[in-house]
Amino acid sequence: MKGLSYLVPCAWAFLACAAFCIVYNIRGWMLVVASLGGSVGWLVYLLLAPLGNDIVQFFLATVVTAVNSEILARVFKKPATEFQIVALLPMVPGGGIFYTMEYCVIGNNAMFLQTGLHTLGIAGALAMGILLVSSLFRLGSAPAAGKNRTK
Amino acid sequence: MDYDRLVNTAADVGYLLIANGAEISRAEESMRRIFRAYGAERSEVFAIPTFLSVAVSTPTGRPVTTIRRIPSRRVDMTRVDLANSLCRRVCRTTPDFSTVNREVRRIAARRPFPFPVQVAAFGLVAFGFTLFYGGSPADALVALLCGAVMKPVCRLLERLHANLFFVDAAASFVAAAIALVFSQFFAHLSYDKIIIGTLMNLVPGIAITDFMRDIIAGDVIAGILRFAESVLVATAIAIGAGIALTAVRMLLGV
Repeated sequence: MKGLSYLVPCAWAFLACAAFCIVYNIRGWMLVVASLGGSVGWLVYLLLAPLGNDIVQFFLATVVTAVNSEILARVFKKPATEFQIVALLPMVPGGGIFYTMEYCVIGNNAMFLQTGLHTLGIAGALAMGILLVSSLFRLGSAPAAGKNRTK
Repeated sequence: MDYDRLVNTAADVGYLLIANGAEISRAEESMRRIFRAYGAERSEVFAIPTFLSVAVSTPTGRPVTTIRRIPSRRVDMTRVDLANSLCRRVCRTTPDFSTVNREVRRIAARRPFPFPVQVAAFGLVAFGFTLFYGGSPADALVALLCGAVMKPVCRLLERLHANLFFVDAAASFVAAAIALVFSQFFAHLSYDKIIIGTLMNLVPGIAITDFMRDIIAGDVIAGILRFAESVLVATAIAIGAGIALTAVRMLLGV
């Protein structure tokens, strides 16, 4: 039963990501591979629940999906974005944005600020996760823009 | 070496990448590699999500340059993928420009999934995410309907040349209104789960994913533009759903 409570959300994440692949026109095997990335990310998030801090959970799960995307990109010779964009979707704080808006509409300012800041924290954790991994994978590769001048 | 055609070809490849949702850093790097492969000694490229500009100097020192405006961007990963591998191939084999142009046209002509499939996909995204966020199967079925209605609304407004944010706000309003009306009649539905699941369709995924990648790759302006875009889209989505919530509360007196 415990295992099921981990796997069921991951299965729904897979379904939702697979449907998103159609929206983004990702076809064939890449659809399956990219969607699995989304499930794996969410599984990592759930397994890290003992940490008791969801911002850290989101950060580490993003790091895992980003590493996964970079590796898949090199294995399949595809852009890493293709995997990253789909794998990140289950972690996007859609709920946070909605409840922030709802508290705002109701006029509950204390909860509005609290939920809003927490949502911002999650978004920041996702951004930092991508920043860290993408920086590490770029070490030694292409030079930054503007430094390409050949003499 | 025909520098005019080289500049046009590189700009075409860059346009294809950016217009279909590739990172700016990827597009710039691709164009730079093409110039290097064809032996253009001095070259500069600059791109932001709505604009790109390339310039090379001929051996005699004459500058050759072009710019492209990128009016609308959509996400089509198949085209990005094909354009990316075309660029790798071009850099390896340096074929003549008419071959590259033919390839670019072929990639640009590739269609996305047909409209009914996309409607179904929007519905499925809403269905899957509602269950993912802990909604009941009944919630998910309503979300399926909301998602499926959302796509034609977006399509209609895009045909009318509405701006990106208005499209998102209107689609969000329609989806939230349907969910709220259903939850008025069937008390056991949790409208929040339905709305959250459905609105995932509008999440600016490409902006969120790309802005950090662009910033660390040195394209700070492109990254900031994407960031601003994702904040605006998120606000538009929230406003659309917020208007629906407020209106239903006022009309039905909840």
